[in-house]
Amino acid sequence: MSVAASVVHPTSTEEVAVTMRAATADGVGVAVVASGRRFHGARSAERPFLVMCTDRLTGTEIYEPADLTLTAKAGTRLTTLAVELGAQKQWLPYDPPHVEERTLGGLVSTGESGPLWMGYGELRNHVLGLTVVCGDGRVLKLGGRVVKNVAGFDLLKAVVGARGRLGVITSVCVRAFPRPAVDRVLVLRGDSVAALVAVARAVGTAPVMPVSSVLVAPARAPSAGAALLVRLHGAEPTVDADQKTLERHCGVSFERAADAVGLLASARDHVADAEVELTLSVLPSRLGDSLVAVRDVLGDVPFAADTYKGFARVAAGESDSEATSRLRTRIESLGGALTARATDRARDVAGLGSRMAPSAAALTQRLESVFDPKGVLWPCRP
Amino acid sequence: MTRSLTAAVARALGDIVGRDHVITDPDRLVVYESDGLTAYRVAPRAVVLPGSTEELAAVVRLLHGEGIAVIPRGAGTGLSGGALPTLDGVVVGTARMNRILEIDPVNRLARVQPGVINARLTEATRPHGLYYAPDPSSQSTCTLGGNVAENSGGPHCLKYGVTTRYVTGLKVVLAGGEIMELGGAGRTADGSLDLVGLFVGSEGCFGIAAEIEVRLLPLTEGVRTLLGIFETMEAAGHAVTAIISSGLVPAAVEIVDNATIRAVEASVYAGGYPVDAGAALVIEFDGTEAGLDSEADAAEACCHAAGAREVRRATEASQRAKLWNGRKKAFGTMGRIAPDLLVQDATVPRTRLPEVLASITEIGERYRLRVANVFHAGDGNLHPNILFDRNDPDELHRVEQASLEIMKLCVAVGGTITGEHGVGVDKRGYMKLVHGPDELAAMAEVKRVFDPTGLFNPGKVLPDVEAAHR
Amino acid sequence: MSAVSVPPGGVTSRLAQELEVQRERLLPCVHCGFCLPACPTYNRLGDENDSPRGRLHLMKAVVEGRLDPASDAFHTHIDRCLGCRACEPVCPSGVEYGTLLELARHTAAEHRPQGRLTRMLLFVMASRALRSLLFAGGRVLRASGLAALGARALPSAGVLRSARFGLAMLAATAAWRMPGVRSSRGVAAPVSDDAKRGTGRRVAVLTGCVQEGLYGRVNQSTMRTLEANGFEVVEVKGQDCCGALHAHGGDLDRARALAKTNVEVFLASGVDLVVVNAAGCGAAMKEYGTLLESDGDDHARARDLASRVRDVTEVLAEVGPRRGAAVECSVAYDHPCHLLHAQRISRPPLQVLDAIPGVEVRVIANAEECCGGAGIYGITHPDLGGRIGADKVAAVRAVGADAVATPNPGCMMQIGAGLVMDGAPEGVVHPVELLDESYRRAGYYGEPSTQRSPG
Repeated sequence: MSVAASVVHPTSTEEVAVTMRAATADGVGVAVVASGRRFHGARSAERPFLVMCTDRLTGTEIYEPADLTLTAKAGTRLTTLAVELGAQKQWLPYDPPHVEERTLGGLVSTGESGPLWMGYGELRNHVLGLTVVCGDGRVLKLGGRVVKNVAGFDLLKAVVGARGRLGVITSVCVRAFPRPAVDRVLVLRGDSVAALVAVARAVGTAPVMPVSSVLVAPARAPSAGAALLVRLHGAEPTVDADQKTLERHCGVSFERAADAVGLLASARDHVADAEVELTLSVLPSRLGDSLVAVRDVLGDVPFAADTYKGFARVAAGESDSEATSRLRTRIESLGGALTARATDRARDVAGLGSRMAPSAAALTQRLESVFDPKGVLWPCRP
Repeated sequence: MTRSLTAAVARALGDIVGRDHVITDPDRLVVYESDGLTAYRVAPRAVVLPGSTEELAAVVRLLHGEGIAVIPRGAGTGLSGGALPTLDGVVVGTARMNRILEIDPVNRLARVQPGVINARLTEATRPHGLYYAPDPSSQSTCTLGGNVAENSGGPHCLKYGVTTRYVTGLKVVLAGGEIMELGGAGRTADGSLDLVGLFVGSEGCFGIAAEIEVRLLPLTEGVRTLLGIFETMEAAGHAVTAIISSGLVPAAVEIVDNATIRAVEASVYAGGYPVDAGAALVIEFDGTEAGLDSEADAAEACCHAAGAREVRRATEASQRAKLWNGRKKAFGTMGRIAPDLLVQDATVPRTRLPEVLASITEIGERYRLRVANVFHAGDGNLHPNILFDRNDPDELHRVEQASLEIMKLCVAVGGTITGEHGVGVDKRGYMKLVHGPDELAAMAEVKRVFDPTGLFNPGKVLPDVEAAHR
Repeated sequence: MSAVSVPPGGVTSRLAQELEVQRERLLPCVHCGFCLPACPTYNRLGDENDSPRGRLHLMKAVVEGRLDPASDAFHTHIDRCLGCRACEPVCPSGVEYGTLLELARHTAAEHRPQGRLTRMLLFVMASRALRSLLFAGGRVLRASGLAALGARALPSAGVLRSARFGLAMLAATAAWRMPGVRSSRGVAAPVSDDAKRGTGRRVAVLTGCVQEGLYGRVNQSTMRTLEANGFEVVEVKGQDCCGALHAHGGDLDRARALAKTNVEVFLASGVDLVVVNAAGCGAAMKEYGTLLESDGDDHARARDLASRVRDVTEVLAEVGPRRGAAVECSVAYDHPCHLLHAQRISRPPLQVLDAIPGVEVRVIANAEECCGGAGIYGITHPDLGGRIGADKVAAVRAVGADAVATPNPGCMMQIGAGLVMDGAPEGVVHPVELLDESYRRAGYYGEPSTQRSPG
């Protein structure tokens, strides 16, 4: 057990690099904090470490509205960028939990696109370039700022979603998108998760593609509001036509909730706030089975599921590691995967991090050592 | 001269894949000395055509065990020399691994062998109302394994994105013949690094994809295709910028210049483009029928505002197919207008298109070269095609000089040296224009993680860094 | 970028010498590879030596003096080409592959003689007397039922395999008994004058070698249906085999001699058009201009004749064709390569079939791919030809029609042989045979007589 020796607030890539070099020299770990919401486990680090906070690495560097590309420092809040982009009727179409509190670098580090990936593509495909400071202080500029780029090996892909294992992201260039004229969320409420899953599967095979499809069970009792939320973007006539096609294909009528976007966000964030959050993935056709497995093992717990991806976040409450292990076995028998993230208080479910085949794990470890040869980063790894 | 294979190794290869599928006769190896880039010719020591993942792995195990380099080859349509047999390598072709293993319409996924032709996957999935989105211009012949290696693009990548967006999982054969599964559509929550994303676009330098899992999309309901006719490339370039920045999301915006129009119109793929036009834009919108006309109207207005002479609309499927054929086969039609052709590939920020096009014209004139432009304008992905005759050494030299200048120009305005054709052998020399020594060193190290002995497609992508390592 | 230049000199072969003429044809290949998936041999073997691009590369290597034209590589892979020319319509550069292939075969044959069987066949076909003897024997085998018997009784492997296939091809040339036709089918007084429509055009029909010998009935159908559609059909004596088999087989000298004869007699007859009912012959005659391009005065005359050559379905489709009476049947349609790829004719045969009431046409899967006929490919390349043929037979049988209709004798024999060996019920028919039957039933030919000319 160790306590953070100090907290640093670098203001530039160079300062990050200097810090990393010093940390490497001193054998001190570095824990990177973006918005702070996801920083847990400080008490579990195995050696001394310092906390690097990116909150002063802020500001837009280049924004070319006509080019739909934006480069900003990693600590810039997404809400700040949303204002700047909004003035040009553009936006970043990502909606993972608590997106309003995240920084650009934090978002890229987790690689989480949220359910809108279906309509816009994953974040990983739209990060055009980034600057990352490796564990030993090397500064790598990966990618560029053009929308198509195959000049060399795509190391950028490894950094996006690496959750800081490979380096500290200090600047990011992303593709921006025109804001849709209409943003409509269609809601179907129901008591039966199974019935909603059936509709979700129909949505998944419809001839039109909504931009996202999310199944939420926000509270303990499913009767208190399980719902399927299907989101359509586009021009008014397109959205009207798509809604009709969907309703015909699925044999249901959706309602239009007044603050459906808010409903979507609160259900999603509620799950993410749980002390133990499980994320599970299966093929979309197995989502129903996996939610049955969740109920069998954990009871009626809140969850938010991306039905297009076969991906769900589950609020596991005070579940113990024995239960989560059992659930993992069930999910793996469905061909899927499960990982767990816990707050400090619930550390005892640790050990449910990534689980890869030994050969892939060895490959991953060798990759990590390319970027962080001395293992400075991620001192709090689960 | 290329060393030939020892009889024992040749026999062992034959035992794995069958004698008919090992080529060792030097006369027959001549055919494999180039891919789509014929400026380079190196005959391989042998060609092996495995028929299954297991055979592929056994071939790699055997060759790597003998210290022999493996040169992966799909349909040999690459334009950067990625399949050029280097370092006395043995070409391992995927032509016989051409089965679609599974189409899963419920999850909208398909699993294929690497030798499956891009367009055949869409043909096979169309009855399910689905298609495979990335559509490189060579899609009627190029393979999905090659697409994975090159992270191929295509006209419709403007809206739908390139290959990497659609590859959800891979079964790869790595150094020494190790078979490894990467990713998988059902295992997105396994917390691992994005190994699939890293592998896609590695140009055969990390290993060979033996099975590919890809995401399919539902067929779109409607489509509108416009042909904008302009007096100059600059005017067409301004129209592109106007369309992209107006908030419209076209499926594709392609540009062809006068030289290309003439070549295409003289070929079997004549698209009906007016031969006296300075430039033509092919603009396409797809999606739900209801919204398409207003989008097409808006794009048409952008063209007229930029000075279009005329804007036509393809109203029938056959007209649309014709327009697209003219665009997609443009590279091949160049054979009609010059003995040799260098297809360049670079990307610039879309706002810089008009000035870059003007500069490319100026460079061509200064070096007394004919340059035909045909490219993915919506992505800012340029393909200046330099026409020449290799039997004229002076002209050849000027081609090299002009190419370098065009590359420098693109990098200077914030672009890069290749948007979709890859680095291969052809652009290794330009890598230092866009990457510093640390980045190049990191790439070399990552290659070593996958390929510790450097026996997968050596001498590709990286400049001298790799050579120094050996 | 660096480039490799074509070495000057070192040109040894005839192919190389003729390059000055052919340069324009060979150089446009930019190695794009679009032809690969169109090639039946590449699709099955996966070896680029067996692809159009690979074969062109071999030709280039010979021209550049890097490859011996007597080499096994050149001989084998040039020989293994079906000559279906499916690569031509997909070639963005417009490489004239068919012409180059003939030249390459010629070169290969000069340096390394063809197989004995091929040489013998080409020799026989070039002589009117010899081939009429051969076909007379064939007709006896066919009429006696021995051909069909052998096709079923001989072993499908070993030395007799080719003999079995040959007999099956022969058996397959028998007329299909169309539904509603009694065993001795009546034909056909000459077309009555009031049935003629009068286009005013005078045409000749190429009677051909195989056509004349084994498909006389198709020639008869061709003439009658042309007359019924208003053409004046002129008999042109002295015409000979078109030379296609020789050109494809690399025997350009005999091909040119035959071509010259035909140019001579057909031009002398003063007809507007020369109508051909065999796609392979039509393709060859339309290219007489290229075949004789280094023959001075003959060149212009050859081009003149070539411009008058039409496939029978082309002329019929152009005028309508007029509709006859119903022939109730379903037919599977397959495109002959030398019609679809070499002549770029796809719609006219279907238009002819559409003009026959009661005929239901089902275009088979992969109808644009070669059936493996390619002259005597099934005999010279039993393995590969057999695989390609089996795929085609399976595609035909999958549509479950009464017969397969295709306007080329080579394809009729190849697909028919496969059907015979399978013991399949499907018949084989030329589209004009069906049209002819339809006209007969409509009474365009006067009252049906009870005699039918043999063949």
